[in-house]
Amino acid sequence: MNKKLIAAFLAAVTAASMLTGCGGGEALADPAAAPTTDEAATEATGDDSAPAAADIDTSEHVVINYMTTGDPPEGEAKKNLDAMLEKLNGILTDKVNAELQIYYIPWTDYLSNYNLTLAQMDGSVDLIGTASDWLDAWPNAKDGAFLELSEEMLQTYAPKTWESVPKEHWDLCKYNGEIYLMPEDNYAQWTNHGYIYREDWAKAAGLDKVDSWEDLTAYFQYVTEHQSDLGLNLAWDSDGTQYGQMASGWVSSHSDFISIDGLAANALWGGTKADPYTIVVPQYDDQEMMVAYAKEMAKWDDMGIWSTDVLNKTTSANRDDYRIGKVAVEQHHTQTWTDLCSHTDNNTIYTDPNAESGFFWFGEENGNVVRLNITHGAMAVSAASANPERALMVYDLIRNDKECYDLFNYGIQGVSWDVNDEGLRIQPEGYNPDTQNINGMTNYWWGRNDDLEIKDASRNWDAIDPMYEELDAAAIDYPYGQFVPDVDEIQSYIDNINEVYTNDMKLISYGKYDDKGMTAEEAVQKLHDDLKAAGIETVTAALQEQFDALYK
Amino acid sequence: MSNTRAERKQQAKLEAESSAAKVKLGASDIIIRTIGYVLVTFYALCCVFPFLLIIGTSFTNEQVIRSEGVQLIPKDFTTKAYQMVIGGGTIWKSYALTITLTVVGTFLGLAIIAMTGYALQRKDYPYRNVISFYIYFTSLFSAGLAPYYLLMVQTYHLKDNYLAVLLPLMMSPWLIILMKNFVKQIPHEITEAGKIDGAGDMTVFIYLILPMLKPALATIGLFLALGYWNEWYQSSLFLSAKVAVKPLQYTLYELVNKIQALKNSVAGQYIALDDFPQESVKMANAVMATGPIVLLYPFVQKYFIGGITVGAVKG
Amino acid sequence: MTKRKTTVVEGSPESFSPKKRTWYQTFWRYRILTLMCVPAILFFFFFSYMPMPGIWVAFVDYKYRKGIFGSPFVGLRNFEFLQQSGKLFSLTRNTVLYNLAFILLGNLLAIIVAILLNEIQSRWFKKVSQTLMFLPYFISQVLVGILVFNLLNYDTGFVNEVIRHFGGEPWQPYADPHVWPVLMVIIYLWQQTGYNSVVYFASICGIDAEIIEAAKVDGANAFQKIRYVILPMLKPTIVILLLFALGGIVRGNFGLFYNVIGQNPLLYETTDIIETYVYRSTVSDFNFSSASAVGLYQSVVGFIIVLCANGIIKKIEPDYSLF
Repeated sequence: MNKKLIAAFLAAVTAASMLTGCGGGEALADPAAAPTTDEAATEATGDDSAPAAADIDTSEHVVINYMTTGDPPEGEAKKNLDAMLEKLNGILTDKVNAELQIYYIPWTDYLSNYNLTLAQMDGSVDLIGTASDWLDAWPNAKDGAFLELSEEMLQTYAPKTWESVPKEHWDLCKYNGEIYLMPEDNYAQWTNHGYIYREDWAKAAGLDKVDSWEDLTAYFQYVTEHQSDLGLNLAWDSDGTQYGQMASGWVSSHSDFISIDGLAANALWGGTKADPYTIVVPQYDDQEMMVAYAKEMAKWDDMGIWSTDVLNKTTSANRDDYRIGKVAVEQHHTQTWTDLCSHTDNNTIYTDPNAESGFFWFGEENGNVVRLNITHGAMAVSAASANPERALMVYDLIRNDKECYDLFNYGIQGVSWDVNDEGLRIQPEGYNPDTQNINGMTNYWWGRNDDLEIKDASRNWDAIDPMYEELDAAAIDYPYGQFVPDVDEIQSYIDNINEVYTNDMKLISYGKYDDKGMTAEEAVQKLHDDLKAAGIETVTAALQEQFDALYK
Repeated sequence: MSNTRAERKQQAKLEAESSAAKVKLGASDIIIRTIGYVLVTFYALCCVFPFLLIIGTSFTNEQVIRSEGVQLIPKDFTTKAYQMVIGGGTIWKSYALTITLTVVGTFLGLAIIAMTGYALQRKDYPYRNVISFYIYFTSLFSAGLAPYYLLMVQTYHLKDNYLAVLLPLMMSPWLIILMKNFVKQIPHEITEAGKIDGAGDMTVFIYLILPMLKPALATIGLFLALGYWNEWYQSSLFLSAKVAVKPLQYTLYELVNKIQALKNSVAGQYIALDDFPQESVKMANAVMATGPIVLLYPFVQKYFIGGITVGAVKG
Repeated sequence: MTKRKTTVVEGSPESFSPKKRTWYQTFWRYRILTLMCVPAILFFFFFSYMPMPGIWVAFVDYKYRKGIFGSPFVGLRNFEFLQQSGKLFSLTRNTVLYNLAFILLGNLLAIIVAILLNEIQSRWFKKVSQTLMFLPYFISQVLVGILVFNLLNYDTGFVNEVIRHFGGEPWQPYADPHVWPVLMVIIYLWQQTGYNSVVYFASICGIDAEIIEAAKVDGANAFQKIRYVILPMLKPTIVILLLFALGGIVRGNFGLFYNVIGQNPLLYETTDIIETYVYRSTVSDFNFSSASAVGLYQSVVGFIIVLCANGIIKKIEPDYSLF
C-alpha cells in the first residue's frame, strides 16, 4: 500500500471526526453559562426557616438527579426505596417544586465510571456526592466537572447550609478562590486506623490493654502460642494490601508526623505537630525508625502471624473471620471497631460473655491523631446541571430539614426505623435488614448532620463514647484542609514514588525482605535509594514551595 | 439444499474409501494415533480437573474454603453460593438477554464478516489491499478509553442502550483476516467458473462460496458467540445502574466485584459487609457462566467435516 | 447446482479481456464486491476511526468543559511517568518476550493438537475431548489466579501437600521470581490451546480431501502426509496468524498477569509487564490522558514491528502478507 494513500485517508478520517467532535463539544454546557444569580434574590436572603425566598422562581417542576456510589436496590428493596422517595418527593414538591432521583454508580469499577459519567457533561446528574480522599473531588473540581458555587448562590438557595458551615470550613472547600464543595462537616466519625483486638485474650496474655506496638507483639506472642486452643485459623489473615497503613501507623506512633491527604495512596508527605509547614517524609528521612519497624515486622513474620504467601493472598475475609472468632485482630479504623465491638447478631464472638474487643489506635503512645478532613464527604453541583439553583435547594432540605433528613437517611418511621424510650434508633417489629435498610440505599455520605442524627441503639455506646472522648481529647484538627496541591508538574514523580514505595514497603511491612537476601538495614536503605531515584526530593521541594506560598 | 445432499454423498464415498484404507494401517498411523490419544487425553484431563475443582468448591462452605483451600469433594456441602447467585431471579433475565445478544450478534457479524472476507480475497478486486489495510490498521491504533466513551455517549447516544454492547462486538480485524484466510483455501477457479456461467458476485458468493465455507463459518461463529457470551467490558462502560437487566457475565462479575471493591476502598467503612460467601460465589459464577455454552461446541463441530472437495462442487 | 443460472449479467465475457478501464468503470464493475465490504467499512469507520482523533487526549491536560480538542496542550507530559520510571525498557522487554513465547509456543501446540485430532478417527472422542479443551477458556482470569494460588502456595498448596507427604522440602514459588516465566507460559498454554487449535482444525478440514487421498495413494505414510501435505497447506494460516499477533506484541495480557502474580513485588523482576505497571502507578491517580499515552506508545511500537515484518514477508512471499 502506498504511503500517500494512507496519509490521505488518515487526514480524511481525522477531518471527518473532528467535525463531529467539535459539534459534540459545543453541545456541552458552556462554562460561561453558569447560572446567573438573580441579584435581587441575594438581598432577600433571610434567616427565617423558609427554604426558598419568595421571589425565587420555582414555577417549573424539575427533577434533580443525585449521583452516588453504590448498587441500585432491586425487587422488594427497590419498592421500599420508592415508597420513601415518593413521600420525600411530595415534601420536596411542596417546598421547592422539585423531585429527587438517585443516579447510582455501581461499585464495580466505580472510580472509572464515576469519572466517565462526570466527563459526559450532558446534564444527566445535578447533585454529586464526592470526597477529597476517595472520590477525586479536587481533580474533578480542577477539570471543570463541578460548578463554582458563589456565596450569593449559597445564601440564596442553600441558606441553612450556608449558615451552618463556618467560614473557615468554606475556605477549605475552595480551589482558586471558588467554592466547589459543600462539606459534611458536622458529623462525628473517626477514620484513624489501628488494630482491633480481643481484650479478653490480651488479659490472658497478661496485658491490661494493648496500647503500644510492643503490647501488640506480646499479644501476638500469646495468640500464636495458643492458636489451636483459641480455635484460630491464623492470628491475622492479612491480604497483603495493608503494608501502607501499618507503616504509617508505626510512623504515627513513633513521631509527631501529620500527613497530607489525597496526594497519593500512600500518604508519604506531611509536616509535624511541632513544625507543621515544613515538609518531611519520615519513611525516607528517619532510617533508624524504619529499621526498628522492619525488624519488628520480621519478628511478626517469623511468628507466623499471617500466611507465608501473604503477598499473594486474595481470598482472605479477615473481618468476617474476626466476627466469628477465627482470627485475633483486624486492622482498620475506629468506625469499623464501633461495629465490631458491638454485640450484634453478626458478631458471634459475643456469645462468649467474656469476649470484648479493644482498639489500639496508631499514635496512641504519643497521642498523635488528627481529625478527619471535612471534605472526606461533600456534595458538589454538576457544572452541566440544568437546574443548579433547585439542586441546591433540594440539598439544603435533605441536609437540614428534620423531616426530609429522617426520610432520606432512615426511611419511613415505623417501617424502617423507630425511636425507643431512650431516644435511640431501633429497628421496628418485622424489620427486614435486606429490604428496609434505606440508609444502605440512599448512600448519603455527603451531608449527614449530627444535629439531626439519631443514635443507633444496637451500638455499644458504653465502649464507643469513652473512645470518642479519648480521641477527641488527643486529636488536633487537620491542618492542611485548604492546601490543594498543584501536582500537574510532579504527578509523574508521585506515580513512580508510589510504585517503588509500595514495592519496597510490602517487603518491609510483611518482613519478607529476607526472601530477597536483605537485612533490615539493607531493605530500609534500598527504600531510601529507590525513593531518591524516583525523585522524592523533587516532589518534596515542589510541595514545600507551594506550602510556603500558602502558609508563609 | 441440493448441494448439501451432493456433498453428503461425496462425504460418504470418501469415508468408505478411507475406511477401506484403514484396514492396512501403517506403523506410522498407529504411532500418530497413539500419540494423539495419549496427548489429547492428557490435555483434556488437565482442562477438566480444575473445572471439577471449581464445581466442588462452589458447593463448599466458605469457612472451609478459607482455611483449607479449594475442594474436589465438598467437605461441608452447601448451596448458599448458588442461592446468592440466583438471588431474586434476575439472573435468568440476564441469561435470556445474553442468549439474544449472542444469537443476533453472531448472525449479523458472521454475515458481514463472510461477505467482507470473500470480497477481500478476490484476486481481481482492485480495492482489496486498501480495504484490508483500512481494517487491519484499527487493530493497531485505538484512541483509548475517554475518546471512545465520549463518542459513544455524546455523539451516538448509546448510553444505557443494548446496542452499545451488540455493535462493538460484531466484528474485529482479527476475525475478518481469519475469514479472508479461510476463503483463500477455496480455489479462485470456482468464482471464475461461476462468472463464466453468468452468475453475479453476490450469487457466486451465496451459492458457490458459502457452502464451502462451513468450517470457517463454524469457527468464526464460535468465536463471535464466545465473545458475546463472555462480554462484560462494554456493559460495564455503557450500561448504567438504570438498566435493570444486564448481560450474564457482567451480572456475575458485578456480584463478586462490588464486595471486592468495597473491601479495598475507603467506602468500605460505610457498608456493613456481612458474611458473603465470596470465594464459593466466584466458583458458582464460573459454573453458571459456562452452563449452556459448552453445548455449543459439539453443535458447531459437526460442520468441521473434512474433505469438501473442489470436485464435489464442479461435479 | 451449476444449473442455477441467474439473470444478473454484469459478469459478462468482457471481464476476462485485459482492457484498460477508467477508474469509474472499475468502480462500477466491482460495485457488488464493494457493497459487500460497505458494512464492515462503516463499522470500522464509526467504532474505530471516529474515536481515533481523540488520541489527542494523550497530549493535553484534559478539562471536561473544554473537551479533548480545547484542552491545553502539554506536549509529552503524559508520557513522562513511564519514561521517568526508568523501567520502560525492562517492561517492554518482559511484555515482548512473554508475548513471543505465548505466540510461538501457543501456535505450535495448537497446530500439534489440531493435527493429532485430525488423525484420530473416533468422532465421539473428538467431540468430548474438544469440548473439554474449551473449558479453561470459560474460567475467568480471577479464578485462574485463585486456582494457581491453591495449587502452589506454601502453607496449604496442593503441590506442597504432596511434597510434604513424601517428606520433601516445601517449595515457595511465590518468593522466587525465576520460576514464573515457565509457569506463566504453562498457564497460558493450558488456557488458550483449546481455543487456538480450532482455527487450525478448521483449516485442516478445509483442505481439499482429494489432495490428501492422492498422497495416500502415492504411498505416503502418516508422517509424510503431515509433513508434505498438511503443514504446507497450513502455512498461509500460520504466517497470517503470527503476523497478526505481532501487532499486539507490545500489549500484555493484563488479566492473566494481574490475577496470577497479583501485587507481589518479590516477583516483579520477571513478571511485570507494561499493563500491570501502568495499572499500579495510575490506580491512585485516575487519569484518562496517561492511559491513552501508554496505549499510543504500544500502538506505535507495534505498528513499526508489523510494518517491518510485513515488508519482509512481502519480499519473500507476497501472497502471505497482511496488506
